[in-house]
Amino acid sequence: MRPKTKRRIINTIRYIFTILILVVFLFPAYWITITAFKPSSEWNQWPPHFWPYHPTLSNFFGGNSVSSIEGILPFLRNSLVVSTAVAVIAAVIALLAAYSIARFKTGGMGLAGWIISMRMLPPVTIVIPLYVIYAKVNLLNTWTGLILIYLVPAIALGVWILITFINQIPKELDEAAKIDGASNLQTFTHIILPLSLSGFAAVMVLTFIQTWSEFLLATILTSNSAAQTLPVYLGRFITGYNIAWGALSAAGLITMLPVIVFGIIFQRYLIRGLTFGAVKY
Amino acid sequence: MSKSSRKIAILFILPVIIFYLVMAIYPFVSMVYESFTNLNLTMPHSGQFIGLSNYFAIFQDPLALSSIDFSAMVVYIAVPVEMVLGLVFAYLIRGLKGERVFRTLFLIPMMIPGIVFGIAAQMIFNYLFGAANYFLSFLGIQPIAWLGQASTAQFVIIFLDVLQWTPFVFLIIYAGLLSVPQDLIDAAKVDGANGWQAFLHVEFPTLKPLIYVALIIRIIDALKIFGKIYMTTWGGPGTATSSWSFYIYKVGVSYGWDIGYASALAVILLIVSTILVNILIKFLNLGEQLGISKET
Repeated sequence: MRPKTKRRIINTIRYIFTILILVVFLFPAYWITITAFKPSSEWNQWPPHFWPYHPTLSNFFGGNSVSSIEGILPFLRNSLVVSTAVAVIAAVIALLAAYSIARFKTGGMGLAGWIISMRMLPPVTIVIPLYVIYAKVNLLNTWTGLILIYLVPAIALGVWILITFINQIPKELDEAAKIDGASNLQTFTHIILPLSLSGFAAVMVLTFIQTWSEFLLATILTSNSAAQTLPVYLGRFITGYNIAWGALSAAGLITMLPVIVFGIIFQRYLIRGLTFGAVKY
Repeated sequence: MSKSSRKIAILFILPVIIFYLVMAIYPFVSMVYESFTNLNLTMPHSGQFIGLSNYFAIFQDPLALSSIDFSAMVVYIAVPVEMVLGLVFAYLIRGLKGERVFRTLFLIPMMIPGIVFGIAAQMIFNYLFGAANYFLSFLGIQPIAWLGQASTAQFVIIFLDVLQWTPFVFLIIYAGLLSVPQDLIDAAKVDGANGWQAFLHVEFPTLKPLIYVALIIRIIDALKIFGKIYMTTWGGPGTATSSWSFYIYKVGVSYGWDIGYASALAVILLIVSTILVNILIKFLNLGEQLGISKET
């Protein structure tokens, strides 16, 4: 066989396998998406329908809160408020700390490692004592309570990302500013801040995504629509024997869509953040 | 460092330190204390100091041991499968036309919230109308009650973990492959190495640190598995798919409000995770990466 033909055959086989693998890995996302548009008669059809034969929006706007997601608005509001607040506060606190660590080596490796380890610790270990504390200070079932706990991993992620951003700003700029008579604070506001804005934005997006998807802490620390977020709304949806699969999928779609869209747009930062810089695209 | 530099350095780091003292250190310390008490939120006069009893109780609690067992099972079955598949996929798509599109599509599973994955699994593995049983019917296999039997329920949870996190391993290894200089591989081939030898002696040594990083991150995360279990099996049938995290949740919150015992379980999980995180920080060579190691 000529090498060219051989290569073509090998490449064809690789494409076939790649597509097969993608089909398997994307199947759950696909199934959620199509079920969200299936009428109730198709939810538990046998054989299963692999696309909605009679597409409908009734799972979204069905007029009642059992077989549609009419009641989703307060939960959507809670998710938006909590995730946005976490994103903004985490980015601000993290930028200050990152500047201090990157430029002045404050605390050295010990402090940096300690802050970053906050990102990896299992949430279930912090939620048990926190529940007791929150019960005493009336933070259960509040936005504030959720925001505070979500800031723990969010700030850690932010500090790490922003240190790498600030390290890319040449130190000569700081020194030039200082020679011109700028104070440290002025150097920060006039040089570091504007030049690390893209890192600031990356931190906001990543912490937003991370907060938006969190389930364990939210389900334990909240108890009704005053503070429950979207993932908790999903968990509460499964009741009794007749599960409204279409509505549940519609809610699932709304929960995962912003994360996927944001994630794809900001994939460079997402990958860097998730792998602690082991990977740079 | 000048006096004003030191002032701003401390001023700027202060918010983080105060925040973590209140939101992390204080809860952790109070958890360690509570693990030595019989605090139970349903009992008004509980909270007496009982020494190490909670820790001894773990070893006599078959449910605790089986949940630690299942978490271990996720680590030693799901994680190796993810590592191997991730490596295979990275090789599979490298150099194919459209590899960036494939890479992006492959990112999607790891972005889906675990709880949404759980809903999809509930439908796909449903006994009566699930797509899984439909596919198997072509092979002449009778419908399986996936979530109703211990072994198949465990399979489903592990399968979901693999679906969600193989892409993560893939991304790390794929990026590593891109960073291996092509001349190095060519040089090895000129010297008479075949494809496999080039992989073993040129590419693999470059990839090795990345593979370790992926492995440790996956082990740490596998210990946290919760949302998928909550949404699909609720730890069942029986306790077959109750993970360490899930059992702590059941003991501490959903069934017993037994804070003392749950704290003891959580302290052990915290110690295991902390050790792993420290190993990870070593492997990441964080000091150098962030430019704060002692040498510089």
